[in-house]
Amino acid sequence: MSTPIASLYLTLGSVSAAAASPPACVPGRNAVRAITLTNGMKVIVWPVQNIPSVALYNWVRAGSRNEAPGITGLAHFFEHMMFNGTTRRGPGEFDELMEAQGGSNNAFTSDDVTVYQDWFPRDALDLVLELESDRIANLAFVPKVIESERGVVYSERRLRVEDNSQGLLSEQVQAAAFVAHPYHFPTIGWPSDIQSWRIEDLQKFFKTHYAPNNLTLVLAGDLVPDRVFALARKYFDAIPRQSPPEPVRTREPEQLGERRVVVSRKAQTPLLQYAYKAPAAADERAPAVTLLLSILVDGDASRLHRLLVEQQKVAIEIGGNWQEGFDPGLFWLYLTLPEGSDPASVQQILDRELDNVVIQGVSDQELARAKNLIESGFWKKLATIDGKAQLLGEYEVFHGDWLKLFDAPAQVARVTREQVQAVAREILDRRKRTVGVLMPEDAAEHDSSDTEWPLADAGLRGM
Amino acid sequence: MVAPLGSGVAFAAGLFEGVRVPAHERIVLPNGLTLVIVPRRDVPLVAFNAVLRGGELGNTLGKAGVASLVAGLLEKGAGERSAFQFADAVEGVGGSFGAGAGPESITIRGQFLARDQPLLLQLLGDALLRPRFDADELQKLRARQIELIKAAKDSDPSELIGTYGHAFLFGAHPYGRPVIGNESSLAQITRTDVLDYYHGQFGADRLTLVFAGDVDSDLLKHAVTKMFGEWSKAPSPPAPLTPPARVRERRVLLIDSPGSVQTYFWIGNVGVDRRYTGRAALDLVNTLYGGRFTSILNTELRIKSGLSYGARSGFTRGTVAGEFAIRSFAQTENTGKAIDLALRTLTRLKQEGIAAEMLESARAYVLGQYPLEFETAADWAAAMGEIELYGLGPAYIDNYGAELRRVSVRDARVVIDQAFPSADSLAIVLIGDAAKIREQVSGYGPITEIPLTDPAFDSIH
Repeated sequence: MSTPIASLYLTLGSVSAAAASPPACVPGRNAVRAITLTNGMKVIVWPVQNIPSVALYNWVRAGSRNEAPGITGLAHFFEHMMFNGTTRRGPGEFDELMEAQGGSNNAFTSDDVTVYQDWFPRDALDLVLELESDRIANLAFVPKVIESERGVVYSERRLRVEDNSQGLLSEQVQAAAFVAHPYHFPTIGWPSDIQSWRIEDLQKFFKTHYAPNNLTLVLAGDLVPDRVFALARKYFDAIPRQSPPEPVRTREPEQLGERRVVVSRKAQTPLLQYAYKAPAAADERAPAVTLLLSILVDGDASRLHRLLVEQQKVAIEIGGNWQEGFDPGLFWLYLTLPEGSDPASVQQILDRELDNVVIQGVSDQELARAKNLIESGFWKKLATIDGKAQLLGEYEVFHGDWLKLFDAPAQVARVTREQVQAVAREILDRRKRTVGVLMPEDAAEHDSSDTEWPLADAGLRGM
Repeated sequence: MVAPLGSGVAFAAGLFEGVRVPAHERIVLPNGLTLVIVPRRDVPLVAFNAVLRGGELGNTLGKAGVASLVAGLLEKGAGERSAFQFADAVEGVGGSFGAGAGPESITIRGQFLARDQPLLLQLLGDALLRPRFDADELQKLRARQIELIKAAKDSDPSELIGTYGHAFLFGAHPYGRPVIGNESSLAQITRTDVLDYYHGQFGADRLTLVFAGDVDSDLLKHAVTKMFGEWSKAPSPPAPLTPPARVRERRVLLIDSPGSVQTYFWIGNVGVDRRYTGRAALDLVNTLYGGRFTSILNTELRIKSGLSYGARSGFTRGTVAGEFAIRSFAQTENTGKAIDLALRTLTRLKQEGIAAEMLESARAYVLGQYPLEFETAADWAAAMGEIELYGLGPAYIDNYGAELRRVSVRDARVVIDQAFPSADSLAIVLIGDAAKIREQVSGYGPITEIPLTDPAFDSIH
């Protein structure tokens, strides 16, 4: 069977020649099919016969946003526990069975969601769906396994946060940026919580959040949709619906002035991070926000890279991220500075340029470049079954409808300079930002043998 | 109602034939330039890989990092365009264009919309034939590269552990040199060094150009011939490589990172080369030993003990044998325990080999994952470039499925004997808090210690 993609993509080629042209048509809209099971679980399938493989994404609407003091990191802990056995299968069997049929898997957790991914040959479809349903229906809570997995998660925390300047600073900045909303919590969890959450906490979190009505299953690849639906019904229909999770009621109160976080640590290079309050993913200004970020940091020709790295040479790296979540999140800028530099002077240069963007807006050329970069990034993603499954899921979960994916390039193409300037004015407001600075500790001031490293004593007792 | 899917069931291995190189054109110009065109019409993108033989191996100056700086400078001003204009030309049309050095090659890779093929060709021609090597761009890139190494030490020391490992394992062999350079060697590299490298190591006979995707074959052939047809060959062929010597005992490099709460370790020895005939068996055994989630290593260090977030192993196979290495990390207090476990798994592999049913599982896994590596035009551009660099031919990919299917338990035993080191002959590299782990690791062999802030990766030599 030939894919319908080829002809439609050709249309795109001519259409995207200029950023101001009418929006491109995204192929696949008619190929994708979706159903909702009686228990509320949604299944979306995008058949593509390019390689004999399948990508599966199971989206769980639970992240660190659904946590509370004492159980921070629990959503992420499930990302680990979901591989550790069910009442029918021992720890490790999930992976052993999947690998023996040619499949691999992974998972990730964010502030908002936990996502389980499998990549497998088409012939393993039955097994994979059975395995996925088994761990939703029958997850085991074995104390010994939980204790061991605490150690694994703590090791991950050491890698990503405690032994990592960037991770350490951004954790502190995010915690300072949110005083009320659970985006305050680091997804990996606070050290004391990783060490002390209880089996009852796990059971309660699982029952609430891993209910079928809280899941969206997306598959892309060499598939026949009706067969996927039949198997989904066979394996998932019997799993009962649960009461929907408690909504996150807390809204972050308006930030009334700039906040500052300083972390001092043994390091060579200082870091500077800005985290501005920004809209939620579903906000109608989303395409303009994405374009603003791209104009600022995407590529060597971007505004901030050119100014700070190439012209002024005050930074060695600059990056950014818009944390697109269910609730208003953060718009980040990350700078790595050369050894010995003064973050305050870099901040002056950065602030002046950001003010320029707010006051004078962006150029047509900058906007066109950002549109083209975003569009080509979109097509590169759509070129793989993995990218297709991911994008379908993102639009379904964060924008309310997978169909919106097919309108994405048009949304971006429509954005004007004025709209970009408007979101710049709104977001790049100093009163609504948190500034983080990581300053290298002067090694000479401390005796290295007994440095008071704040997290060094947080070792795991359970191992 | 769960099917009894324990070990020994029917596997998917027989259901999928493997991956075959798509129909393509391969043209060698009279000056030795190789052009490969792989048409794939699924998306209106053209991916390219320009592979120049030489890499850090071609750096005869004794200042590590020259090839990497040369690669970085190719797009920092070329032809009529300044560095900014070059970046703007690429990004303005939503393209990508990036160059990097490896031990044996410099590679430029990227992707453009099909309609921008003329621009892509122009940029490639400028970068390869008319790079400016502006003094201030060199100064900037050099300073930045030095600072990026320091930043990596602060935020992801494990990223650099392989570089330390190569220096410690390969020593004076070219594979031991840090391709990215080190803080002191980079500081000494001059514009003359960069120009010397360019004039000595660039030339038509060193270059393979691969274009894959929605290509305009006639345009590409015509433009490449016109642009590169008169380019001269490099003054000399790439320096020959001799196989590096294996480590015959155990020795330890301890990189002191005071305050680090975890120890990152790399355990290696010289493995096998790219043309190693047992590569299908090697891939299956390594999959089982440290190449997938349920591997022996990850099972011991993560799944069963909870000591580490992960443990992996792998081979780097170049023109001559690169390294086999195990990588993992564990809390400072558990450093010795984790390394002991890793070494025990290696001994167990050497002694017990691989059971038939494990081999079947690995076979299904590698066959099942293989097509995912060849999904896009960019995947094919990279794969064909690699095939040319090592002179392997399409059979390297075409025959892989059949080779995997044929691997027997006895083949597995042969590669275990030939390619995997024994636990008493290893270069062990550790990044961690030396004051806290020195004693734990004292039994593994003679220790050389350097601070993480040392401006070289190889000051031991």
